[in-house]
Formats: sequence, C-alpha cells, structure tokens
Amino acid sequence: MKVVIKNWHAIAQWRWDTGSNDPDDADGEGDVCGICRVPYEGCCPSCKMPGDDCPLSALGECSHVFHMHCLLQWIGTAASKQQCPMDRRQWVTAERKVDSTRS
Amino acid sequence: MATTALTAQIVLKWQNSFARLNRGQPGISGLLSFSEAWSIATAFLRPRDLADTTPSEHNMQDVRASFDILSRSKMLPMLLENFLEDMRKQLYLITRDINTMMSQYENTGDPQYIASLVYRLVEWFQAWSPIPELGYTVISAYKLAFQTHVFSVLPPSFSSGFKDLIASTFTLSYSTSPPSWTMGPSSSEVKTPPVRPDIPLWTAYDTLGLLDRYESLISSVCYEHIEAHVLETCTGKWGEPMLAPLREWMADKVVPWMIMPYARGARTAAEAQSMLQSVGSRFDFHVCKTLSDLRTREIFDIIIDYPDSLSALQDLKECLQRVDQRTQLVATLRKANKRRLLHPGADTKDILTQYVSIIRCLRIVDPPGVLLFKVADPIRRYLRERADTIRCIVASLVGDGESGDSLVDENEPIQPLQQMQVEDYTDPNWEPEPIDAGPDFRTNRPSDVISTLVSIYDSKDLFVKELQVLLAQRLLAITDGNYERERRNIEILKIRFGEAALQVCEVMLRDMTDSKRIDQHVQSHESLVLHPTIISRHFWPPLQTSKFIMPGQFKQIQDNYAKEFTAFKPDKRLHWLPHLGTISLEITLQDRTVSAEVPPLAAAFIELFSEKDTWTVDELVNKIGSIDRSSALKALATWVDLGVLKEDDNSQYKLLETADASGSGSRTAAPRPANIMEDAPAVLTVQQQQAEQMKVYWKVLHRGNAHKPRVTEFGPDTDDAEDCSGYDRTIEQLGAFMEAARREGLVTVKDGVWKLNRQ
Ligand SMILES: [Zn+2]
Ligand SMILES: [Zn+2]
Ligand SMILES: [Zn+2]
Repeated sequence: MKVVIKNWHAIAQWRWDTGSNDPDDADGEGDVCGICRVPYEGCCPSCKMPGDDCPLSALGECSHVFHMHCLLQWIGTAASKQQCPMDRRQWVTAERKVDSTRS
Repeated sequence: MATTALTAQIVLKWQNSFARLNRGQPGISGLLSFSEAWSIATAFLRPRDLADTTPSEHNMQDVRASFDILSRSKMLPMLLENFLEDMRKQLYLITRDINTMMSQYENTGDPQYIASLVYRLVEWFQAWSPIPELGYTVISAYKLAFQTHVFSVLPPSFSSGFKDLIASTFTLSYSTSPPSWTMGPSSSEVKTPPVRPDIPLWTAYDTLGLLDRYESLISSVCYEHIEAHVLETCTGKWGEPMLAPLREWMADKVVPWMIMPYARGARTAAEAQSMLQSVGSRFDFHVCKTLSDLRTREIFDIIIDYPDSLSALQDLKECLQRVDQRTQLVATLRKANKRRLLHPGADTKDILTQYVSIIRCLRIVDPPGVLLFKVADPIRRYLRERADTIRCIVASLVGDGESGDSLVDENEPIQPLQQMQVEDYTDPNWEPEPIDAGPDFRTNRPSDVISTLVSIYDSKDLFVKELQVLLAQRLLAITDGNYERERRNIEILKIRFGEAALQVCEVMLRDMTDSKRIDQHVQSHESLVLHPTIISRHFWPPLQTSKFIMPGQFKQIQDNYAKEFTAFKPDKRLHWLPHLGTISLEITLQDRTVSAEVPPLAAAFIELFSEKDTWTVDELVNKIGSIDRSSALKALATWVDLGVLKEDDNSQYKLLETADASGSGSRTAAPRPANIMEDAPAVLTVQQQQAEQMKVYWKVLHRGNAHKPRVTEFGPDTDDAEDCSGYDRTIEQLGAFMEAARREGLVTVKDGVWKLNRQ
C-alpha cells in the first residue's frame, strides 16, 4: 500500500519563541507579561492585534520578557529608573541564543 | 231591606237614564230611535265568519246616523263592550285557522304557511275592524283584544317559523321573480306587483303588531344573516381586505332591507336615515365583531401565512378599534402557541421563525406593542429554556448558507442593538402607556427583530461567544482561502453588536489573511501539500484538544513546514493542533486506488498500516499518542466503510491489499428475509406502504438527533421528510409513529422515554 497526500489543510497556533518555552505547556495559557498580566500571545492594553503588531521585547539579561509596548512605556516613566519592573535590576538586553541553539 | 231613601235613589236613576236615552225627544220617540240605532250599529259591527259569503248590506248613512245617536246617548262604551263580547264568541274561528295553518307549517317546515297564516289573520283583522269614525279608543281596544287573542293562541313553533320567514325576506327583497305566496291573498286581484316583493309581508306584520312583539327576533335574524355572510366570504381569505367589501355589502343589501322593519314610518330619506342610525351602528358593530372573532380564531395560521396575510391583519386592526376583543386575541394566540409551537417536538428554528412572524404581525395589529408583549412572554420564557436558541439566532444572523429563510428581513436596515430604556418623561413625544398594558410592559422595547431576539437574554455576551464559536468553525473549515462572506458578516455584526465585541473576530480574520500570506511564502521556498491555518491563541474560542503525533511522512511534512515558518518569522514557532483539519489522500493498493478526504486521525492510522498490515486498536493508539478509544474506532470505521480495512474476529484490523471477495457485503446488503415472496404484487398493499413510510421516518429519526426527533419532519405526504414545513404534525402523530416504531421493535419505551433499540 502506498499513501499519497494530495492536500492537507491543517490548523496550527503560533507561539513566541522566548527560548524558555516548555513544550509540555503546549496547551496551557502560556506565560504572561509581567507588566500587563496578559499572555505573551495576547496583546498589550494599547494594541488590538496580537503578533507582529504587538511583539515581545528582547530578552533581558535578567531573563525577563515583556510585551515590547509595555516595556517601552515602563522604561519611559521616570519612576522606572531604567530598571526591570520584576527585579529592579538595570534593564539590559541579552544576546539572543535561541537561533543558534536551534539551527 | 229597601228603605224609602233607597227606593227614591232608584227612581232618580231610572229617570236620568230615560232622559239620556230619550235625548229630550217628545214622548218616547227618542227612546224608540235609540233602540233602532242600537240594533243597526250592533248588526254592523258583529264579527262575521269569513266563510260566510252572503253579502252583508249596510246602508252606511244609516250606520253613521246610528253611531251618532248612540254617541249622543253616551252609549259608545256600552256598544264597544257589546262588540267585544260578540267578538269573543267568534274568536274560535280564528283559533281554528291558526291551528290548521300551524299544523301545515309543522308538517312541512315551510315558512310559506306562516306567510299564509299572517295574511289570513290580516283578513280577519280587517273584516272585524270597526270603522274609524268610532274613534281611537274603540279601534285600539279592538286591536288589543284581537292581538291578545292571536298571541295567546299561537303555538311556540310560530317563533321559529316567523324567524325563517323573516330570513327569507333578505333574498326576497331583491328577488325579481318572487313566489306567489309572498303577495298574499290580494295577489289574485289585478294589481301591479310591489317594487319590492317583501313589502306586503312587512305591511301585514305591521298590521298585526308582529313587528313590535318580535322586535328582538327580527334583530337576531339580521345578526345571523350578517354572521353567515361574514363566515362565508371571509373564512381563510386573508390576502385581500375584507372589511371594506363587507361594509359595502351592508350598504347595498342590508340597509335597504332594514328600512322595512326599522324605518317604515319615514316620510323622507333624511328621516329614514336618522331612524336607521342607531340600529345601523349596532349592525356595523356586529360586522366588526364577527370578523374580529373569525380572525382571532384563525390568528395562528394567519401569522404563518404572513406576509401574504397582511390584509387580514389590517382588517383585524380596524375591527379591534371598534370592538374590544384584544383580551380574546391574546388568549387565543397564547393557547395556540402553547399547543402548536411550544412543545418538545418543534424545532427551535421553527419556533424562532414563528416568533419573528408574530412580532411583525402583532405590530401591524397593535403598534404600541401591548398585545405583542403579552403574547411574546411565554414564547420568550420557553426559548430561554432551550439549549440551542442562541445558536439558532446566531446562525440566522450570519446566514447559515442553506436557505434564504433567515430570521432577518434583508430589507430591514442594519442597526445597533437597542437596549431597554428607562422612560423619559421629559421627552416631548412621551405618551402614557396603553390602558391594557400590564405593570411589566415597557414602552421603549426594542423595535427591530434582532434586538428583540437578543433581548430574550439578559446579556448579549452569550451571543458574542456563540458568534465567535460559529465564526471560528466556519473559518477553520475554509480550505480555499475564500472567507469574503465571513468578512462581510463580521462587518454587519460589528454594526449590531459594536466594534469591541467583535474585536476577537477581527483577529481571527487577520489570522486568515496572515496564514494565506505565510503559506504563499513557504510554498515559494518549498512546495508542500500542507496548507495550515495559523491562529492566534487566546483569540479563538477554545478548541478540542488532543495530543497525538502524526506518524511517518505526515510528521516529516509538518516539520518541514515548521522550519520554513520559523525561517520566515524567526521569533515565532508553530504549534500543531494535530486532530483538526482535513486531509485528502490517495491510497494505492494492489488491485485498486481509493481516494478519500479524512480527518487527520484517520490519515494517521492508515499511514501506520503501511508499516504492517494488521493492528489492534490498542497498538494503534499506543503508537499515535493519547487518543480516546471511541475516536480511534470512529477513525477506523472510516476505512472499513471504504473497504480498505477489515475488522476481524480478534478485534484486529487488517489491511485489504486486494478487495474483499465478499465485498463490504455485510454492511450494504441486509440479510434477505427467508420467506421472500416469489411473485410480489405490482401494487403495494396499504400495509406495505406503511412499512415503506416507516423506513422514511426512520431515516429521518436517525439523521437527526434520535433522542429528540423533529416532529415537523414527519410528513406522510413527502418523499423527503425535510421538505415538510409548518407545524401540522401533532404530538399525537409523533406518538402514533413512535408507537408503530415500537411495534416494529425499533425503539423501546420506558417511563415515557423513548430509546433507540440498537442491536
Ligand atoms: Zn504587557
Ligand atoms: Zn502592544
Ligand atoms: Zn528582570
């Protein structure tokens, strides 16, 4: 017997690659943005469309990730003192290692 | 003992009496002439038998002179008394005629004998009537005595005969060739026939005082005549206005008739008009009442017929303004709804359709909406209890694509949902609520159909959720990338439900666009048979989850696609929902090729059969991942049905590289009954036809939800039960069918619950 696929209509979800995704959490709600408490794959309070229009921030050296818009807004306030809102360490963007490990 | 005084009194009286009778004439000549006058007058007045044909010769001059003498002697009262006494002795003659003619009527039931009797009584009346010179007192005393006797002798059956006779005057009044009995006995004389053949009858009734005595009977004849005409001309006729033609008919046919009983004394047209005014208004009221009663009885079917029945509804509106039948209308419609609509056998879609028609129809009849409020209440409560109501409304909102029978009128402007409002008394257009509005009635109820339907529920959130589910299902089923219809739907829904409520649907649509763009990009790098719809989680309704891994070449293709995706979108990864979607396959076997479009799980299983050709269910499940057993069996059944797999006795599935010799025989052809008749008759017996019918019903039962059969689908007169419409299948019919099915052993019943008998 030979099975030939003529056409395949499949359904998939997209996920942000935060480098720390737990494959076992595939069907869970996923991690939330520490600033707005909305899941990463949702969108920040000032956006209506998720995904490319409301991307994630770069990974901080402290390993925290936020909606980019949330983080920019936070950093823009005087009170932030340019610190990560989760751990109050100076915000420094980390090198992305994800791509190198994958490819 | 007579005293002297008493004797003197008697003498004085006698002298007075003598003087009066003698009238101061010389000697006793006065007394003599009085005596002659008395005998002439009494002879003239004596009631004679009509059968006595000997001509009675009276010198009218002598008669008048005699009456004059008697009058001057103040003897008229005495004369009248004498006349009435004579009359009493002769009354048996009239009684005899009445009895004869009434028994003729009673034997035949023909009102013409009543007419003859009436004319005969007129003859008696005229023959015995004193001359007018005797004055009003005498004439009216005579009339009273005559009528008192006649009415005391007439048997009870006269009323019904007289009623029939009156009824016949309706057609008689404009008859061009009336039967001869209508003319009375005088018709034998040379006389031009009257303009209206019924006039002699009316004159006779009047003479005998029948019009006064039977006044209410005559009105009831007219009421019944009106009722019969309304029922005959208007029943089931809803497509054209009927009230106006009815009023024309009244003016043309009934009003002219009314002149005889109700305006006989009129000398001018204006006088007649004013005499007819009050009775005419009563009869017009009766027209409205009869029509309104009729339409009330028909209201449920009129609503089904809407908009073809628009005219009937407008008539009803006009009638209700004249006759207060609103309470009856509400009661009747509520009862009909309960009996014909709000029962478990009716489809939710049908209930909604009828509810929408009720909304439209009652708004015509009663624009303020009081009737609608009262009728709608039980329907809304019933719909609220039904699990699939929201789904039905939503399906209709987005057009379910099957039929044009959407609840929403396409001509109705799309507008935002209207919420209930609090009454605003500062509004210059504010009006007090109609008098029969109940305490719950709210004037500012939403007026468009969709708002009304949505307002069955306290919040619109349920609708939005259901909308999202429906749209998600639709969008995920789209394989050709054409979702323009859904885009248009969402635009319309945004107007109704507001942008915010539809925001997630916007994301769904954008996911569709993005998926298409991504796929174009991926295909340009590596041509793959896989075309996924990539969705944003959190923005789609929860989807069924299951964890299994597509085997073999499927996994390979998925991985290739995911790699291309990540190359295109470096910050994203793909997460497959393996059980969703459809796969179109071609299975090449030794002796045949099978094409099929199957769900992914079925595809996964058949892929495994290319590794080895015999698997148990457990082996397959273990290989794929976590799958519940019933899903696995269903997926396998797909291939068994297609003749690719075969289940053997050890609950193993085996690949059929060559087609099974016995075919999929056991599935398609039922075992033949042992005693098949060699020469079946060409025409089915009734019993056979019923059995055939049963099969159709049975198919319907199985097609639908077997536990909740759709009553409306059971039509004995259609091939395809789905063509049946309307609510004419009663719960009794369903019961009969289920009972028949039970006899056939197809279902069992226990404690009133029917169950399919699955062997
Ligand atoms: Zn955020
Ligand atoms: Zn944003
Ligand atoms: Zn941090």
